[in-house]
Amino acid sequence: MSDKNGNSSTPQDPEKLKDLEERIAAAKSRHAGEEEIEVDNSLLGMAWRLSTELVVTVLVGCALGLGIDTVLDTKPWFIILGLCLGTAAALRNVFRLVARMEEDEKRKQEAKNQS
Amino acid sequence: MANDPMKQFKIEPIIDGPMIGPIDTSFTNSSLWMVLATVGVIIFFALATSRKLVPGRMQSLGELCYEFIADMLRSTTGPEAMKFFPYVFTLFFFILFANFFGMIPWSFTSTSHIAVTAALAFFTVGMVLVFGLIKNGFRFFKIFAPAGLPLVMYILIIPIEIISFLSRPITLSVRLFANMTAGHVMLKIFATFIAFLVAKGGIWLGVAIFPILGTMAIVALEFLVATLQAFVFAILTCVYLNDVYHVDH
Repeated sequence: MSDKNGNSSTPQDPEKLKDLEERIAAAKSRHAGEEEIEVDNSLLGMAWRLSTELVVTVLVGCALGLGIDTVLDTKPWFIILGLCLGTAAALRNVFRLVARMEEDEKRKQEAKNQS
Repeated sequence: MANDPMKQFKIEPIIDGPMIGPIDTSFTNSSLWMVLATVGVIIFFALATSRKLVPGRMQSLGELCYEFIADMLRSTTGPEAMKFFPYVFTLFFFILFANFFGMIPWSFTSTSHIAVTAALAFFTVGMVLVFGLIKNGFRFFKIFAPAGLPLVMYILIIPIEIISFLSRPITLSVRLFANMTAGHVMLKIFATFIAFLVAKGGIWLGVAIFPILGTMAIVALEFLVATLQAFVFAILTCVYLNDVYHVDH
């Protein structure tokens, strides 16, 4: 017996189906611990995101300042301003990222509590 | 013995092309591995889309990939952003395959060059800018000025927001490039160390076990990094696409 998709479909007896369900449940419980590894991975990703954000944003601020300085010939005033603003922007980005992380964490915790 | 750890990143032309202005159009080893990554993705999804009702192994894998990216896009950007699904999907799998193909011995890691990652990153951020402007008009620039602040604060906040917007393509490209380069250099140095110890012979043969273990650990770590960086690139694309749809956040 096969349908139009070429999959054979034999009528299952309920005994077999029950057995299958039990096996699926057993297999699922074996893999229950794997979720924690996934969380660790995204933490590692977060660490990379935070560190590059922190370094690169400051550099971008300085580069912008240097650019304005070279055009206006006002060295070193805009590069100092760029350094300050870049640092502020970096910290702002990091705070924003951490806030989002905490939000996700909270949502995950709530989902866990509900289930 | 090739013991220069930076030699693996050398770009070598395979087919010489003409110079068009300042642009060298030679087909290089980097181009070759980018083409191979693209072909790899195409072959993988050709095998994974058999369109059967009850999925086989390959199709389950394909559906898993679809679900993974679709969930990511829906949860970080929202269901209206599914228009950009093909782009994020392509980006993720291109980077993933390029990173993985770079792990094959004697291959070339095209993502270890900032030119490649910067092209991807600038295109992504440029796309956000263009679609943001098309969709919101000049209201798009509100992302630089969050609402509800005292007027004096805007003098400070606007430059800060502009700097953080400009740093996006750079963080995006530097992260991927730096991770791939650093990993491969580390791998090469550890592997060279084994060769040195073995060449010395005697008691040093026994000591060689440590760099061997180290190399194995780094290979495993590199596979993790390869996946993780593709994931981070894709999720940040989603985060940035968020600005197209939610100007006042």
